[in-house]
Amino acid sequence: MLPLSLLKTAQGHPMVRTFTFPRMPLHMLVELKNGETYNGHLVNCDTWMNIHLREVICTSKDGDRFWRMPECYIRGNTIKYLRVPDEVIDKVQEETKSRADRKPPGVGRGRGRAREDGPGGRQPKGAGRGLDDSARTTSGGRGRGGSGGKNTGGRGSGRGRG
Amino acid sequence: MSTGPGLESLVDQTISVITNDGRNIVGVLKGFDQATNIILDESHERVYSTKEGVQQLVLGLYIIRGDNISVVGELDEELDSALDLSNLRAHPLKPVIH
Repeated sequence: MLPLSLLKTAQGHPMVRTFTFPRMPLHMLVELKNGETYNGHLVNCDTWMNIHLREVICTSKDGDRFWRMPECYIRGNTIKYLRVPDEVIDKVQEETKSRADRKPPGVGRGRGRAREDGPGGRQPKGAGRGLDDSARTTSGGRGRGGSGGKNTGGRGSGRGRG
Repeated sequence: MSTGPGLESLVDQTISVITNDGRNIVGVLKGFDQATNIILDESHERVYSTKEGVQQLVLGLYIIRGDNISVVGELDEELDSALDLSNLRAHPLKPVIH
């Protein structure tokens, strides 16, 4: 399990069900490298661990001063650690399980299938690099199929990169 | 027993982490990534001092950012449970100086 998917799960389930507060927003604690801590509800996070919190209480390094703020945005690289409610880890496991059920691995559409007709996808007009001699004609066009009807200069044949 | 490089072999095992600010956190490794960010479950901090025994503070579920990690070590649970932490005195670690 990736740390950032745990964090993402914490964001995806903003409400934590507890006995006394059936829909309490997920509260988390963030300590920064400078020792300040931020307590708040997680609104959003991204792959750099940048974090958007609401209803924040900031505590100074020595823990003797407090600030309340409606929201704040924390740059990921200033974070030392995050304390997440324990129940979030079970949510990740549920989520990965259900995702695995839905989509068996390895059936996705491959990337870059269109590449199989060789390198040199974007040759400059006229001065082709000649990687594909058989397809080269006087027009010098953009790759294959350049022998006829190429003068429109549009897309159609070739590699789809008009 | 851990084998091979990386933390993969330590997943779901109890590990001991020393952070750059000199803390020692013990917990179960639940996950990690390329940046050595780690997920620690059921974690607690061990606070060392020369005046009294080791204090254990319960932390719970933690994500520790890789930037802040100095050492990750496997914990021998058998050996660890044989330790008498309440009678153990030690100097606290100093933070890493960059």
